[in-house]
Amino acid sequence: MSTPSTYDIIVIGAGPAGQKAAVQGAKAGKRVALIERERGIGGSCVYRGTIPSKTLRESALQLDRLKRAGEVFQFSLKPDMHIATLLSRLEQVVQAHDSFMSQQLRRNGISLLHGRAHFLNDHTIEMQTVDGAQQQLTAGTIVVGTGSRPRSPQEIPVDHEHILDSDSLLSMMYLPQSLTVIGGGVIGCEYASIFALLGVEVTLIDRAPYPLQFMDRELVDQFVQGLEQCGSHYRGECQITQVRWDQVAHVLTTLHDGTVVKSEKMLVALGRQANIEDLGLEAAGVTVSDKGLIPVNQYCQTNIEHIYAVGDMVSGPALASKAMEQGRRAVRHALNLPVGDAASTIPLGIYTIPEMASIGLDEKSARERYKDPLIGRAKFEEVARAQISGASHGLLKMVADPDGDRLLGVQIVGDSATELVHLGQLALQSSATVESFIDNVFNFPTYAETYRIAALDILGQVAKRRAAKAA
Amino acid sequence: MPSDIQPAASQLEQLEQALVQKIKTGDVELPLLPQAASKVMALASDPNADAAKLSALIHQDQALAAHVLRIANSPAYMPRSPVVSLQHAVAMLGITLLSEIAFTASLKTGAFKVPGYEDDVKQLWRHSLASGAFAKEVARMRRVNVESAYLCGLLHAIGKPVVLRTATTLASQQRIALEKPVLSGWMAGYHTEVGSMIADKWGLPKQVAVAIQYYGDYDHATEFRQECLLTCVANRLASHLLTPDEMPEDTLRDHSVFAELNLYPQDIDTLLLTKDQVLTIVNAMNL
Ligand SMILES: Cc1cc2nc3c(=O)[nH]c(=O)nc-3n(C[C@H](O)[C@H](O)[C@H](O)COP(=O)(O)OP(=O)(O)OC[C@H]3O[C@@H](n4cnc5c(N)ncnc54)[C@H](O)[C@@H]3O)c2cc1C
Repeated sequence: MSTPSTYDIIVIGAGPAGQKAAVQGAKAGKRVALIERERGIGGSCVYRGTIPSKTLRESALQLDRLKRAGEVFQFSLKPDMHIATLLSRLEQVVQAHDSFMSQQLRRNGISLLHGRAHFLNDHTIEMQTVDGAQQQLTAGTIVVGTGSRPRSPQEIPVDHEHILDSDSLLSMMYLPQSLTVIGGGVIGCEYASIFALLGVEVTLIDRAPYPLQFMDRELVDQFVQGLEQCGSHYRGECQITQVRWDQVAHVLTTLHDGTVVKSEKMLVALGRQANIEDLGLEAAGVTVSDKGLIPVNQYCQTNIEHIYAVGDMVSGPALASKAMEQGRRAVRHALNLPVGDAASTIPLGIYTIPEMASIGLDEKSARERYKDPLIGRAKFEEVARAQISGASHGLLKMVADPDGDRLLGVQIVGDSATELVHLGQLALQSSATVESFIDNVFNFPTYAETYRIAALDILGQVAKRRAAKAA
Repeated sequence: MPSDIQPAASQLEQLEQALVQKIKTGDVELPLLPQAASKVMALASDPNADAAKLSALIHQDQALAAHVLRIANSPAYMPRSPVVSLQHAVAMLGITLLSEIAFTASLKTGAFKVPGYEDDVKQLWRHSLASGAFAKEVARMRRVNVESAYLCGLLHAIGKPVVLRTATTLASQQRIALEKPVLSGWMAGYHTEVGSMIADKWGLPKQVAVAIQYYGDYDHATEFRQECLLTCVANRLASHLLTPDEMPEDTLRDHSVFAELNLYPQDIDTLLLTKDQVLTIVNAMNL
């Protein structure tokens, strides 16, 4: 074996986390190697996650718009819609993204290496290329961002044919007539609402009484209502005792109360599992938690101080946006550059239909922290923009301190929620007052107007409180 | 009947040209999608299908019924007691497998027959079945849906028996004897074009049509590249399984398609471990 190549930083995994880590290192003038086992860069975000699911979602929304316009334009859908048709733009989107990212890596002088990496010791990585050759590399700092894959619980026989996971779901040939989705987390809910809108009868099953437990209940209620309007259902507080393919035409899901849910296909969305098995972490002395994640501190340092872990392989939320921020953060820390405190203001965006977003404190956590916070509400039906788009279901909730002065958080459900939340994010970061939303002029007609309506609602409540106190 | 005399090179050239001409002008007898197969396949995609309906359908086709029972009783499925009822067989084998059985059983009859070349056709079907089974394994490894992979593998060489039939018919009309290597060369050269015509006629899904056309030339596929790569790998694995002399392990591995599909040497090892299982499936069909 030839002598190992030496770098300042080695990054394993070219998903959003690894890429940002590599770019940050190169921008600081360091020699960086980025190792990726797949041929394309971008990780599950590009190939099996964010981008494909959002492309399918966009097609579903477009079809829905066309369907609704169908009465005017005499449009009707083909009954046996191929999934591939719905994903026809995907290849273009992925290619554009891929070439943009490769250019970015090249521009920054990063060595992009194609192979599977594992630790030989805490400073040395061995990489096997796809033709079987081996290569060794060493570095002072190593960042691991090998991401995650769908978790396959032993008791559910995922065969990628009838019982699918979020990876294989996208290469399904035809739209099934019915789909059972197990797991009321982000991925389960996103796909449940996309397929429901496409006309598939979806049954979303979870143990919890309602899905997306970490989101504001009022927002989630709107999501469940949306699902039901499409003829689909949420079944909460359900334990699954058995899942099996009946060998004929259906997947049979038996619930604890004996009910059997029958569907043509099933999506298993019961969380993700970190890709750590092949990394040889023990050779580097890196600790792994019982849950199979890598414990890290606020700078993403593992127990070995020059080895960092970022993205989906450390604890949640499993979001591309969080992964990128961690990649950047880890390398800045390693290089003694100021890290900043962005972590507290990472927004959450959930691309269900309708979509949801959240920043800062929600009503429940604000009540825990402040005795009596003020909550301003603006229904989308109150703004002209939503009426024009025919998307009048939606709600923006603004959370403020009990004096109605300081903004604490914003939660939104409805069209453009994931874009709209950034206005709240900036306001939070700059410690804007609730009043400042009234002093500003917003374009008309826009969804942003809901901020003003919610702020007015809060100020109205402040006035009432004052009046009550004075009386 | 073909004569025993060796044809002159020019005769062969003329014959090949006649074959090309027939393909180009679409003057090739394309098989119909076998009736029983199309019915069973339609039922397979019917959410209201049940074992009773399916067995009723199979009852109507004596040859198919016998075939299904034989497979249900074969060692591959190891029934605890002999399967004598079709309904039991249907429940045991499952609708997907039944549509495969129906399909392959029907291929043996009628349009795909090439008199005098029964063994060659049988080898082609065995290769198709093995490719389908391997395609499923590769798809599972790449975590993509196995349904489309299976169909692409099964049908990628559907043009071959038709080329064989057309070429041998032409040859017998012109009283020319054809040797195996010549026929194999023509089948290899022209089956994708004929396969595409069949895909069109049968209204096969787009990815299957693309895989038929481009599995050997995936760089030119403008869409469904993944299906083409999977099919190419499955085809090679099937050749290695059924004709190891022509496709020894070194030759099998020595192809850029594995790297294209990002299959590392260990992944190929894992795929090769499924050889016995695939062979059992192929033998169970008892073609
Ligand atoms: C269906 C779905 C929808 C999603 N939607 C959204 C969304 O809308 N918004 C959002 O923010 N997030 C979304 N996500 C989550 C997002 O995709 C992930 O959080 C993000 O991709 C995590 O990035 P990562 O860099 O940690 O890991 P990954 O993207 O998984 O990348 C890890 C990379 O490491 C490589 N690797 C693994 N092991 C090795 C090794 N030994 N050697 C070399 N390379 C290796 C892998 O091949 C991969 O390319 C979604 C995920 C899914 C599944």
